[in-house]
Amino acid sequence: MTQPDVILRAEDIHKSFGNLEVLKGISLEARKHDVISILGSSGSGKSTFLRCLNFLEIPTSGRVTVHGEEVLVKNGRPQNVRHIEHIRASLGMVFQQFNLWSHRTVLENVMEGPVHVKRESKAEARDRAETLLRGVGLEERMQMYPSQLSGGQQQRVAIARALAMEPDAILFDEPTSALDPELVGEVLKVMQSLAAEGTTMIVVTHEMGFAREVSSEVVFLHQGRIAEQGPPDTMFTNPQTDEFRRFIAKVM
Amino acid sequence: MNPLDILLQYWPRLLDGTVMTLKLTLLGAMIAALAAPGLALVRTQASPWAQAPLRLYISFMRGTPLLAQLFLVFYGSGQFRPMLQDLGLWWLFRDPFNCALLAFALNSTAYQTEILRGGIMGAPHGEIEAARAIGMSQFQTLRRVTFPHAYRIAWPALGNEVILLMKASALASVITLFDLLGRTRQIFSRSFDFSVYLWAAVIYLCLTAAFVFVWRQAELRLSKQFTGRVLPVTPAPNPKETTE
Repeated sequence: MTQPDVILRAEDIHKSFGNLEVLKGISLEARKHDVISILGSSGSGKSTFLRCLNFLEIPTSGRVTVHGEEVLVKNGRPQNVRHIEHIRASLGMVFQQFNLWSHRTVLENVMEGPVHVKRESKAEARDRAETLLRGVGLEERMQMYPSQLSGGQQQRVAIARALAMEPDAILFDEPTSALDPELVGEVLKVMQSLAAEGTTMIVVTHEMGFAREVSSEVVFLHQGRIAEQGPPDTMFTNPQTDEFRRFIAKVM
Repeated sequence: MNPLDILLQYWPRLLDGTVMTLKLTLLGAMIAALAAPGLALVRTQASPWAQAPLRLYISFMRGTPLLAQLFLVFYGSGQFRPMLQDLGLWWLFRDPFNCALLAFALNSTAYQTEILRGGIMGAPHGEIEAARAIGMSQFQTLRRVTFPHAYRIAWPALGNEVILLMKASALASVITLFDLLGRTRQIFSRSFDFSVYLWAAVIYLCLTAAFVFVWRQAELRLSKQFTGRVLPVTPAPNPKETTE
């Protein structure tokens, strides 16, 4: 039924917090090598939607299918916790506030998932962690603690931590929003090279440059619905809805 | 008599009492330390109804004098002797040492649970979320992220609790136990030399000082783990630690 290269499919996702309906039916499909940018003003539900994909938030209704397997939710609780843990291990996540484990060194942060979730040997995990940290330019900082790094460096560690799990896709939740302006570039550069290598990414972002130049698809959320969706070239040059037009005018 | 003569004459008894005090304090604190993490989790995660009995227990332990609790266990258990014998538990309550240990452990469990609850609530939410997002089970998340933070946060307060327990353990002398204070009273009743109380105070002070030193070394190691460097020791004296 599902095409083999569809990694993740969300269908008609609704999410309410109390009486407030944040998501009003969102569907999205991510295929291998897709880079999907999710845009929207604050309160549009874009972060909530991203968090529904790995069940950090449990959708009120709707279906999430990962690798053709639907995640079953009943009464606001996942039916199979193991399945969710398995899915989370296969979808990396990068947070706005980095969320590195402050009691572990940079190297330990990157080794943690492979060793304790995927049960790899320490030697194997260490080898890959060192390679990844070299890849994001932090080979000098491996023995340091997160609090000794700048925000941009911390976020690059967080990306390496996600990559260490060899995920099928990575979810980015406003990865540059907490950074000083001069540090944004180093993180975007890493993300750009990931995209070039064919990593599947879903990125909630305010970086129009990234959305426009790097992503293969742009999704614009407005008040909990997808207002506009398409390839970046046509969307930015020829916006179809008033909402997106106003949004572009405001942020660019 | 010369104060030194008292010490020279009675030091074996004082030493014996010191060992008893240490045994009561450390065993009581350790039993409580084993029970506290699970109970603290109940306090932070269970529904209000499910944790109602626990809250009642904690309120009772924190809201009544330790001496009253000690009497309840020691004299109260005597009232239920036939029942306890039927249950095969009388051997436990027959011995005043066990009664004191039980009372101290129950009391300290209540305090340590509340201290640790504060630590768990202070653990950074984002780091817990990152653990879940990478696929850790709930147990792994607790073990690898939540509790390391909780213990770092709770560490100074836990040390304080052990010191308070050490001094409170002097109450054991009231139920016929020869802890440090019990031995001191015994020596005083024979020698009528008040200086033995001063020696007891000196020993308590030394025990506390040694414990504070060990605890602070551990704290420095903990904080080093979190920041990658040894933080300067803040010399601010804690009046509760030394003068009470």
